[in-house]
Amino acid sequence: MKPVKNFFDSIRPHFEKGGRFSRLYPFYEAIESIFYGPDHVTRQGPHVRDSLDVKRFMTIVILALIPHLIFGIYNTGYQAHLAAGLPLDFFPVFTLGLWVVMPMVLVTYAVGFFWESLFAVIRKHHISEGLFVTCMLFPLTLPPTTPLWQVAVGISFGVVIGKEIFGGTGRNFLNPALTGRAFIFFAYPAQMSGDKVWTATIYNNNAAVDAVSGATPLAIATLTEAPERIEQVLVDSGYSFSQMFWGLYPGSIGSTSAFLCLVGAFILIILGIASYRIILGGVLGVLMTGWLLNLLAGGSSLAWLTLNPFYHLVMGGLAFGLAYMATDPVSAPDMENAKWIYGFLIGVLTVLIRVFNPAFPEGIMLAILFMNLFAPFLDYFAVKTVCKKRIPNV
Amino acid sequence: MNLIRVRKGYNIKIGGQPSEELLSISRPGKVAVVPERIPFIKPRLKVKQGDAVQIGSLLFEDKRRPFLKFLSPGGGTVADIDIGHRRVIKKIVIRLDPDERAVDFGFLSESDLVAISRRDLVAKILEGGLWSLLRALPSRDIAPRDAEPPAIFVALDDLEPFQPDPSVYLQDQEPLFLFGLKVLRKLSSRVEVFARQATAGVLKKLNGHITGQVAGRYPADDPGVLLYAIRRSSTENQTWYIRGQDVLLLAHLLKHGNYPTRRTMVVGGNAAQKTGHVHARLGMPLAAFRPFAADGMNTRWISGGVFQGYPTGPDSYMGLYETAITLIPEGLHREFLSFVRPGFNKPSYSRTFLSWFNSSQLPYDSNFHGGLRACIACGHCAKVCPVDILPQLTFKAVLAEAVEEYLALGLMDCVECGLCSYVCPSKIELSSILTAARREYHQEQSQT
Repeated sequence: MKPVKNFFDSIRPHFEKGGRFSRLYPFYEAIESIFYGPDHVTRQGPHVRDSLDVKRFMTIVILALIPHLIFGIYNTGYQAHLAAGLPLDFFPVFTLGLWVVMPMVLVTYAVGFFWESLFAVIRKHHISEGLFVTCMLFPLTLPPTTPLWQVAVGISFGVVIGKEIFGGTGRNFLNPALTGRAFIFFAYPAQMSGDKVWTATIYNNNAAVDAVSGATPLAIATLTEAPERIEQVLVDSGYSFSQMFWGLYPGSIGSTSAFLCLVGAFILIILGIASYRIILGGVLGVLMTGWLLNLLAGGSSLAWLTLNPFYHLVMGGLAFGLAYMATDPVSAPDMENAKWIYGFLIGVLTVLIRVFNPAFPEGIMLAILFMNLFAPFLDYFAVKTVCKKRIPNV
Repeated sequence: MNLIRVRKGYNIKIGGQPSEELLSISRPGKVAVVPERIPFIKPRLKVKQGDAVQIGSLLFEDKRRPFLKFLSPGGGTVADIDIGHRRVIKKIVIRLDPDERAVDFGFLSESDLVAISRRDLVAKILEGGLWSLLRALPSRDIAPRDAEPPAIFVALDDLEPFQPDPSVYLQDQEPLFLFGLKVLRKLSSRVEVFARQATAGVLKKLNGHITGQVAGRYPADDPGVLLYAIRRSSTENQTWYIRGQDVLLLAHLLKHGNYPTRRTMVVGGNAAQKTGHVHARLGMPLAAFRPFAADGMNTRWISGGVFQGYPTGPDSYMGLYETAITLIPEGLHREFLSFVRPGFNKPSYSRTFLSWFNSSQLPYDSNFHGGLRACIACGHCAKVCPVDILPQLTFKAVLAEAVEEYLALGLMDCVECGLCSYVCPSKIELSSILTAARREYHQEQSQT
C-alpha cells in the first residue's frame, strides 16, 4: 500500500491551500478519502469520535444495492433472450445484461459525479457520499431500454434540481434519484411507459417482443376487468406470486425482486441505517389499504379492488421504493413517530394511485415524492408535541 | 432513597480505567491558576510578577462581579503571568516557598455553623474564594450571590471517563463531607445528594445522606440530567449544583479557616502506562504526571475527561474544576480503506461495525475517523441525548439564529456532555455549537 500512500502524499500539496489546484480540493478529497481516511484530530471535547462516518454509512447502502444490480443485469438479459426466443444459458444472458445495464450505470455515475464536483468546487464543500447512493439507485429504477442521453438528462435533473440548488446533500427535501426518475417519466413518456420499454431488445428484433408481450404485472393488472381476477390473469400471463416475489419478470432494471428488497431492508434495519418505522409503516399502509378496498369491492368493475393486498407488495417497484427510497434519511422526517405516519401514507398513496389512477400504473414514485413534500409538515407537528411536553427553561 | 433511572446516554468502551490505588506524588515546585478555563468570568489581575503571595491571597477577581475572588493555591512568589491572544490571562504561576504560609479566614465550629446567618455564611465563602465551586443551572455559570436556589444538587459520581471515584476521595473524609452538607443546607432548604447505585453501596457512612441513587449510562449522574429527570416545574430550573469533591474544599475552608489545596485526581486513559488516583494539589503542574504517559507515543493530554475536558499538555496546570488527567493516543495516522473494514476493533455507537459483538475495551484515539459532511438526519444524536433536545434540529436552529425555536427545543437544558458530537457520522461539532449558543444566550440575559 506504500505506493498508493506515496502517490497521495506527493500530489496532496498541489490541492491544499496555496497549491496550484487548490480549487479542486473537494474533488481530490473525494478520491483520496476512498483510499485513506483523514488524519484530522479533534481540537476540543469530545476528544474521541465514533468510527462511523458518512462514507461508511452510504457504502453500506450501496453494498445492499449491489445484489439488485447483479440480479437486474441478469434479469435484463434473461427477459431480452426470452422475448427474442433465444436460449436462456447463464453466460450469454448475463453478458447481454451487462452490455445493456452497465453503460447506464456508468453514464449515471459520470454525469452525477460531474455535477456534484462542480457544485462542490464552486461552493468549497466536500463531495458528499450520498451522491454515490443516488447514482446507484437511479439506473435501477429505469426501464432497460432507456436511451443513454435520457439517463444523463435524468440524473442531471435529479442531482441539480433535486439536490444542489437547495444547498446539496442534507438540504434536499426530495429524494434526488426519484426526482430525476420522475422528470424523465413525465418528459419522455414514450420511452418510460407502455408495454415495450420493459424488455431490452437487441438484434433489432422488435417483433419478437410483441409475440411474447412485454407487459409488466402492473400493466396487466390495470387492464384486467372484473369479474376476472387479477391473480388469475397474472398466472395466465406467466406471473405467479412466487415469480414476482423472486423478481424474474420484466420491469425496471433493479427493482423487480421483492425478495432482494426484503433482504436489503433487513440488512439496513439490522445495521441501523434504514428506519424500520418507515418500512413497516409502509407495509402496513399497503396491506390495510388493500384490505379496505377488498371490503369496498362489491360488484364494482374495478378488478384492482379485489386484489389480495399482498400482491401489491411484490408487484412493480413498491418494495424497492419502500426499502431504499422512502428510507433516505434526509428527505424523510426526522422524528420517530412522524416516520410511522410518513411510511404508512406512502403505502396508502401507492395503492390508491395504482388502483384509482389508470394513467400511472406505478404509484410508489409519486407517493414517495409527495410524502417527501409533507415530511417537514409531519416533523413540525411531531416537534411541537415534543416541545409541549418539555418544562420550559427560559 | 429514590432510584432515578436515566434511559438515554452512552458508555464508550475505552480502556485505562483508573485503579482505586491511591498514588502519592512529590510536592511540586510551582502551582498555577488557569483563569481561561473558568467560564463566564473576565479576570481583573490583583497581583503582578514578583509579588509575594500566601495560600489564599487574592490573585484576581471578576470584572463584572468583583465579589467573585480567586485566590492563590500556594504560598511563594508570582513567577509568571502568561497573557495570551487578546489579553486573555492564560495562567498565573506561583513558585512555592519551602514553608508556605496561609491566610487565616477564621474557622467555624459546628455550633458557629448553626448560629451563623445565611448572609454571613455567603460572605465568608465569597471571602474564602470558593463561591465559584457553586454553579447554577441551566447556564452552569457561577451561582448568583443574592438568590436562594430552589435546591442544591451534590453530584458524588461522574461517569465521564475518567473521574475520581467517591469511595477514594471520600475515604476518611466523611466528617468533613457531612460538615459541608450542613453548610449547603444553610444555603438552600433542599439539598439532594446523588450517587450511583454501586457507589451508594460502598459509602455506608453516608447512607442516610444520599437522597437519590442513579442508574444509567454516561452522563446519567450529571446534575443537569438529574434535574431534567426529576423536576416537576420550571421553578426548579435555577437549581445549583456542586461536585462531591468540591463539598470537601468548601467544608475545609470553613472548618479550618484556610484555603484548601488538596485535590484527589485520577490519571487514566488508554495511553496511560500507569493509572490510579493521586493526592495532588490545586493548580498542580501537569509535568508531574509525565511518568504516567506511555513512552514513545504521541499522546493527547486532556485536562478533565474524554468528553468535556480541555486539550492540554505537560507544560500546563490543573484548572480549578478539573480533577482528572486523561491520556489518549493522538490519531494522526491515515487509515487505509478505513470505511470498508469490518471493524471488529473499531468503536462505534452504531451497529455498522463488527465491534458491536466485541464487549472488550477498544482502542480510542483523537482522530475524527471521517471528513466533515452535511447533516444527513441519521438521528443518532437524538438517540443518545440524555435531555431529549433533538440536537440535529437544535443546531440548525442555532446556526439559523432562530432564537425562539432553539429555546423551545430545549437548548438551555443541554448538559454539554458531548455525546452528540461523539456519535455524529458527519463529524459536526454539535456540542460546541450548542454550548457556544448557550453561553451567548446566558451572557445576553445576565447583562440586561
